[in-house]
Amino acid sequence: MKLSDTMRSKQGRRDLRNGLLFASPWLIHLAVLIAYPILSSFYYSLCNYDTLRPPRFIGLENYRILFTEDPLFYASLWNTFYMVVIGLPVGLFLSLGIALLMNQKLSGMAFYRTLYYLPSICPVVATSILWLWLLNPEMGLVNTMLGQIGVQGPGWLVAPEWAKPALILMGLWGAGGGMVIYLAALQDVPQQLYEAASLDGAGKIAQFRHVTLPMLSPVILFNLIMGLIGTFQYFTQAYVISRGSGGPQDSTLFYALHLFNVAFLDFRMGYACAMAWVLFLITLAASLAVFRSSARWVYYAGESR
Amino acid sequence: MAAAFALAGCADETLPPGAVEIRYWTGWTGDELNAQKRLVDEFNRSHPRIRVRVLSVAGSYQKVRIGFAGGATPDVVSAVWADELAGYAARGVLRPLDPYLARSGRSIEEYVPGVSRMLQFKGRPYALAVTTNTNFILFNKKIFREVGLDPERPPRTLEELDAAAAACTQRNPDGSFVRYGYRPTGLMQWAYVFGGQWYDAASGEVTANHPANVQALDWMASYAAKYDVTRMQNFEATFGSNATPNGPFFVGKVAMWQTGEWARAHLTRHAPNLEYGWFPFPIPPGGRPSTSGAGGSVFVIPVASRHPDEAWEFLDWLTKPYAVAEFCESITNLPPLTELGKSRRFRDVPLMRFALDLAAGQNVFGPPGMPVWPRYVQEIRRVEDYAIFGRKPAQGLLDDMDFRVERDLVRTLREVE
Repeated sequence: MKLSDTMRSKQGRRDLRNGLLFASPWLIHLAVLIAYPILSSFYYSLCNYDTLRPPRFIGLENYRILFTEDPLFYASLWNTFYMVVIGLPVGLFLSLGIALLMNQKLSGMAFYRTLYYLPSICPVVATSILWLWLLNPEMGLVNTMLGQIGVQGPGWLVAPEWAKPALILMGLWGAGGGMVIYLAALQDVPQQLYEAASLDGAGKIAQFRHVTLPMLSPVILFNLIMGLIGTFQYFTQAYVISRGSGGPQDSTLFYALHLFNVAFLDFRMGYACAMAWVLFLITLAASLAVFRSSARWVYYAGESR
Repeated sequence: MAAAFALAGCADETLPPGAVEIRYWTGWTGDELNAQKRLVDEFNRSHPRIRVRVLSVAGSYQKVRIGFAGGATPDVVSAVWADELAGYAARGVLRPLDPYLARSGRSIEEYVPGVSRMLQFKGRPYALAVTTNTNFILFNKKIFREVGLDPERPPRTLEELDAAAAACTQRNPDGSFVRYGYRPTGLMQWAYVFGGQWYDAASGEVTANHPANVQALDWMASYAAKYDVTRMQNFEATFGSNATPNGPFFVGKVAMWQTGEWARAHLTRHAPNLEYGWFPFPIPPGGRPSTSGAGGSVFVIPVASRHPDEAWEFLDWLTKPYAVAEFCESITNLPPLTELGKSRRFRDVPLMRFALDLAAGQNVFGPPGMPVWPRYVQEIRRVEDYAIFGRKPAQGLLDDMDFRVERDLVRTLREVE
């Protein structure tokens, strides 16, 4: 039935009204708490707004300053891309690797799965502080262990060139979150596919390459997109370990941290809104690019190729 | 019904007829907050016409800013950093306090000069203070004696400081530190010691690349080069907190500690047997002797306050010698009023005497009264960070910053007017 037909009957109109009424808490929530802030943030991005006086419209001035006058914008963008291009894939591969290991049929597997999953449910602030100690250059566990195999560990979070690798290392501790999703997908791969493949003479590697990976590809896509969005908004760990400064030497000044400082230290709210919209567009473009490419590498069961 | 009110604790919250309630937001917490609350209670008892309600916004001074934005402005606020004062004042959201001070027969000159300057913007007072701080260097007398330095004659010149720092430094065979003598931090402060400045209020010029600022940064970077800053930072990563007995100065990991009079509380509690002395920042030729900083939280009355007269009556009471002395004494802070600095009540301990005289001196520098100062402070820290790692020369860094801050300032002033 089309909407116009529904409107015509009395019963239909009443159903529509009741339906909207029942859905109204969420509709109002969507309009007031989601749509309105998003739209007003766009308007503020075209304003000079310092919270003390009403916003004043200045056109694209904030965007001009952002692209032409703010060296920290580019520094923070570079740091964020570093995490997206290096940190994210490393994390994805590791969680896939762990998931493959955790998918073996061995006794005590439930215990190991729990063990690997556990870190990802710890609060990020708590684990960041914990890692601050693990990565302490002089008395941290990481450098102590490196020292035992004769490697002089780096300064990690106090050295600008090691700070981001240190954060990536920290992030790997939470690989259990991605692992669980891969694990669920791995157990959904039909056994007969492996049987068929092995009858065709496929070895373990060929099975992984031609059965496991294609069957996992929708989940890889999901983890990739979620990871992409999360990494572009990378904030908490950097805020905790640098106490909000983004140091040493801006090496942990990620985009979201720079945005936060602009908004809540400088109170340049309009400028911060402009930054948020630029980040949104970058994230959107990256996600769309991944989606576009996914036609070539993601396989949905039941699809013909 | 009455029982329910009593249970909810509302019974004693009802205002007597004709009384006015004013809202006071403070940034203090813990002991400081309790001391403030005791004073507020005392005020409320002695002023039946006014009821002050305290709200602590500790840890989040942003809330004040958001409060202004949302129209939930309190009547009195002490959760404003002196650094932020010019930004608020320039935007016209604070009441100038000169008419109120005059009405009460008071003057901003009651404050020590450094604090008095800090509380004014464009020649008018916009804030009052109840505490102040100082900065100087503490040194470990035992270490001085061990390495052949005279513990009764601490460094006075920069050269003497450099020599003492080198003498006190001890390394392991692999080059890592057992102890270092001193590491200068805080370019903002050291620039003033060298005779520099960050902003010329008279001409309205940003002076980030003042020759003395460049010298100060070069000197700081020389420590980083001489002692290998990476090794220093690795060593510092092992330092315990100064709020525990593991503080690096307490356990002898550093011989000289750049700090302030607040360190006394930690020393008394965590290192009662440590033999220590103190000295003001040593100076290069042409430098400013006995330089110290001023800052911290200040009290303001927003323009949006609906009861400014009552707010003033409270603030007046709270910033007069009686309440200031009570507050400072209960939290062992320095009183910013000249009169109290001379009072024997605060001069019983030698370190506090030294700090009080330092705070009352002419070379005390608070925020220089420019609206973009908080961002400028971040920039100064950033430049210091880059320079000590030797990534870029001091002159270039400061030239670059001067250009950027000047541009920000001009733009902000244009927006404000």
